[in-house]
Amino acid sequence: MRWLHVIPLRLRSVFRRSRVEDELDEELRYHLERQTQAFSANGLAPDDARAAALRAMGGVEARKEQCRDARRVHLLEDSIKDLRYAARMLRRGPGFTAVAVLSLALGIGANTAIFSLVNATLLQRLPIVDPARLVYVNNGGPSAGAVFSYPAYAELRDANQVFDGFATWGGIVASLNADGATDLVSGAIVSGNFFDVIGVQAARGRVLTPRDDVTPGAHPVAVIGDGLWHGRFGGRSDIVGHEILLNGQRFTIVGVTPPGFGGAQLGVTRDLYVPMMMQAVMRPPRAGYTGEMDADLLKVRTNQWLFGIARVKPGISTAQMDASLSAQATAFHREVQPGAPPRPVAVTPVNDGPPGQRAQMVPVAALLMSVVGAVLLIACANVANLLLSRGAARQREIAIRLAIGAGRGRMIRQMLTESLLLALMGGAAGVLLAWALVRAWAMSPPPPGALPVALDFTIDLRVLLFALGLSVVTGIVFGLAPALRVSRPALSPALKDDVHVPEERGRWLTLRKALVVAEVALSLLLLIAAGLFIQSLRRATAVDPGFAAGKLLIAPLNVNLLRYTWPQSREFYQRAADRVAAIPGVESASVARIAVLTGGGSTRSLHIEGREATENQFQSEGRGLSAAGRRDAVSSNVVGAGYFHTMGIPLRRGRDFGAQDGETAPLAVVVTESFAATHFSNEDPIGKRISVTGPRGPWRAIVGVVRDSKYLTLSEEITPIVYLPLTQHRENGVTLHVRAAGDPAVLVPAVRAALQSLEPNLPVPNIQTMTSSLAASLYVSRMGAGLLAACGALALLLASIGVYGVMAFSIARRTRELGIRMALGAERRDVFSLVIREGMTLVGAGIAIGLGCALGGAQMLAAFLYGVSARDLPTFATVPLVLALVALIACVVPARRASRADPMTALRCD
Amino acid sequence: VSKPSDHLQGTLDLLILKILALEPQHGWAIAQRLMQVSGDVLQVSDGSLYPALHKLEQEGWITATWRPSENNRRAKFYELTGPGRRHLEKESANWQRLSAAIAAVIKLKEA
Repeated sequence: MRWLHVIPLRLRSVFRRSRVEDELDEELRYHLERQTQAFSANGLAPDDARAAALRAMGGVEARKEQCRDARRVHLLEDSIKDLRYAARMLRRGPGFTAVAVLSLALGIGANTAIFSLVNATLLQRLPIVDPARLVYVNNGGPSAGAVFSYPAYAELRDANQVFDGFATWGGIVASLNADGATDLVSGAIVSGNFFDVIGVQAARGRVLTPRDDVTPGAHPVAVIGDGLWHGRFGGRSDIVGHEILLNGQRFTIVGVTPPGFGGAQLGVTRDLYVPMMMQAVMRPPRAGYTGEMDADLLKVRTNQWLFGIARVKPGISTAQMDASLSAQATAFHREVQPGAPPRPVAVTPVNDGPPGQRAQMVPVAALLMSVVGAVLLIACANVANLLLSRGAARQREIAIRLAIGAGRGRMIRQMLTESLLLALMGGAAGVLLAWALVRAWAMSPPPPGALPVALDFTIDLRVLLFALGLSVVTGIVFGLAPALRVSRPALSPALKDDVHVPEERGRWLTLRKALVVAEVALSLLLLIAAGLFIQSLRRATAVDPGFAAGKLLIAPLNVNLLRYTWPQSREFYQRAADRVAAIPGVESASVARIAVLTGGGSTRSLHIEGREATENQFQSEGRGLSAAGRRDAVSSNVVGAGYFHTMGIPLRRGRDFGAQDGETAPLAVVVTESFAATHFSNEDPIGKRISVTGPRGPWRAIVGVVRDSKYLTLSEEITPIVYLPLTQHRENGVTLHVRAAGDPAVLVPAVRAALQSLEPNLPVPNIQTMTSSLAASLYVSRMGAGLLAACGALALLLASIGVYGVMAFSIARRTRELGIRMALGAERRDVFSLVIREGMTLVGAGIAIGLGCALGGAQMLAAFLYGVSARDLPTFATVPLVLALVALIACVVPARRASRADPMTALRCD
Repeated sequence: VSKPSDHLQGTLDLLILKILALEPQHGWAIAQRLMQVSGDVLQVSDGSLYPALHKLEQEGWITATWRPSENNRRAKFYELTGPGRRHLEKESANWQRLSAAIAAVIKLKEA
């Protein structure tokens, strides 16, 4: 309430100043008149009465000033004055201003760009209604990020007491055939209540409802995303009711979701939504995945593939939800399998993002933020240094202002205004820079599959506020020490324009030297990190994958989306390989279940005939699955005829798969050298029998041994692999491998045409060279190394400017001393080495501190490095040398200038 | 010119608020009133009155309007605001507690 009176008053004091002043005059004048009258009435002569009234007031002007103080007009007025003064000072030193603003712009720009990345990955919220009440429901505990089978979901949906609505979705990749072209589209198969639970309305038409989700197979309707509508259908207005083919079946588009909506997972954009009851068409299970060819995923309990999202009832705690859901899930599970272990179910707030994604992104974001933070600190140190040297040059001006009565607080405020102005200018330039960086990123997006999530980052309001806050903090950080220092000169020498008092010089230099040492230490840290990343990247690119990666093309054949039967699939693979092999320039073609080094893997339980057996019986497939380090399991692949030849994997012993390994022939496998070494160290493996199915077989004879090759990633240790022939092992869904005689990239169109002529409904958008797929897997490392190298180079540049600046300053202040030394017989080279020694002492101190910190902190980087110790000796030896060399150059320039000075001029310089 | 101590300043504020609680007044009248009621014990210089008034106005305890005074000249009249009235009540209570406590201490008999 009080502010209702106060705010207009304050504003009036500032903006209607003359009016307020007039009123003040009038008020005091009125008082004086009345008082004069009163004194006259008491018998004083008019003049005496007036004088007495004035005396009683005690100095009208002083009172007015006190009233103004009381009105606090000074604070604002002074700030405006400070701002004008600061602008004038900055204009007067354009070189200084440019360097300072540029350093700050680089620092703030880098921070803003990285923050926009953090903003996009960790701080963004899903564009859905009231997300605070939405939770992800995780089967198997909070970190598992895991999924339900459809029956388990349906039971919990119907029985739970804690949700207002519990929806589910599963990821799908569908072949979309419309208007004569076939594409692969990423989407979701959702329960009927999905849109209702997350509170999303259709932008056009309608969303899916529970009525679309009643009878299996009877609801061929789809909702598409805004991106697909514009990208694939040109935003056509008659989209609702449009018919399309999804996985070969006719569907009707019933609605379009609003722009910006990409599903219930941040960072994953899904453009197609179909009802759960269409599972058989939209998410046909892969053979070998469930063991059954035509498993009905709506009934199978063992196949867990559905994510849960729910809107919680108000007033129920997370712990209560977890306890109640877990108890119900366990009870349902034990009805099917008595005595089964408990089934934990845990909810996590949607606003916290998917648990896995957060865990993946937080360390990366922390690393990036600390790197750019270090660059900003160096920039701050540099600008503080520049301000100090300017402050030294302005000692006289400041001393005069202090001497004629300016308060120290006023002086500090004025200097801080200057540095804030600098920082804000730097911040504005930095935002422009960040904007340019974000644009550049958008122009050259990462290759598909390079990042775990789709990053859509922009400079939004939050990023702008971050930049503003950062600029203000920056301005205070680099401005405060110089302001404190500069505003406390020794008055009398400063007024005499003589700052050459040794004690005074010493204090100036100590602060500046400390700043330079810090700069050197920080840039050493960044350079070492950059060095480690570059080393790591070099190791990773130099790794021999064990096959001829440079000549390969890979193309996924998602025939499961066409709901082929096994004989159809087998025939299609054969025809595809033959047709592609006939293309001029193709040496050979083959297929395999797993395209190695693309991130997916398959592991199976392993048993060797005649050895003691475990009861292990499993087979799993997915991203990142490898049996590395296990003796009871093995990584596996199912390969077509000619696979080893196509890949360029040489045969070491025995034979390749051939015509003799038909469907009914004795089961055969080929193993890698490390498999033979691990399991048959001093025996001949050929003819030995193993099982990858279960402890009682079926037994498969080893017919050949091939060279080791990398499986999941380039950076992994060699892991044993078992190869099964496609003829004896059904696989619906393989990747075509093509070996080119020359550059494989030129064959892409021909391969695509060949495949589409075989099967027009088959979407093959993703034909890529093995090299580019490897590059995609190194994309993050490459970006990291590039970013760190850029930051390191920037830090090096800033630090050498800092070294140069402080040495030049030190010499300028010591011209007379050096003159005396030379007059007394010091040689030029003595002066030269004196300066170099002084400069390099600073650099040495910085390097020592930086090395100490780097050795201590390097372990934090270990998780990001491949094939390089976090304390890699060459890096730790080379980087300080490079830094010292660059710093030496920065010292040589002022040292030469000092040693060339004429002693007489130097002595007279004051 | 030494500034009045905080305590004295606070006292002056309290006195002004109290006088204005009786009726709206202009500065000169407030000064007269102060002298009258305190029987010249409290010598508030005319000078320190105006900064105090301006401060109280800035705080929002009092508000000012220009209107004709008793001698038909335009004068700046101050009056208490709602928050100012509550502030006065609080401060009066404080003051009474404080002075009672001091009085009690002073009345202690020396042994």
